[in-house]
Amino acid sequence: MALLKDSDRAQLQKEFAQLTNPVKLIFFTQELDCDYCPLTQEILEELTGLSDKIQLQTYNFAIDKDQVLEYKIARVPAIALVRVETIGANGASETRARDYGIRYYGVPSGYEFASLVGDIIDVSKGDSGLSPASKAALAQLSEPLHLQVFTTPT
Amino acid sequence: MAMESELVTADMVDAAEFGELSERYQVYGVPLTVANDKARVEGGIPEPLFIPQILNGIGLKIPMPGQ
Repeated sequence: MALLKDSDRAQLQKEFAQLTNPVKLIFFTQELDCDYCPLTQEILEELTGLSDKIQLQTYNFAIDKDQVLEYKIARVPAIALVRVETIGANGASETRARDYGIRYYGVPSGYEFASLVGDIIDVSKGDSGLSPASKAALAQLSEPLHLQVFTTPT
Repeated sequence: MAMESELVTADMVDAAEFGELSERYQVYGVPLTVANDKARVEGGIPEPLFIPQILNGIGLKIPMPGQ
């Protein structure tokens, strides 16, 4: 059964029409001991069905250790959002994944779903939408900053 | 913020699903943002206030708007 209503799908397809670069949702799951992994996978599969610019890549948290390390995944279900960029032109072009360091831990439902949709659009465009003052403030960082934003679905 | 700076990583965490982590950071209300395990910003705060609060919380000196 579809999780999204037809009206929601139509609305999302309209929003995703503004996507420029493809966005890859890198999903980390595991079969045992992860109550919310199947639901997260269903949500992501529905999302990727709404735009050919949204791609899904799935890794197993227990098995795919290289990717777990590469994306510094701490727990499951997890989603890393990366921007697919094409470098070069014509015959010599290649794609690379640009990782901004955005992760979702847990089922992206409710408020988190809206947040994920907004992030997909921002990452695709490569534009944070932050004000010049905010950008200037962030430019003063000299040490890593790890943000953990705790939310609940409702 | 993570998009603007390569130094920033941002985890969105479902507090209900990850109880142990929520307990460790004493999450009693959401949204709660924890920066580098030390600074905490509670509630949904507008960007012009939020970013200075976070950055000042980890030791930078960013003027708050209006200062």
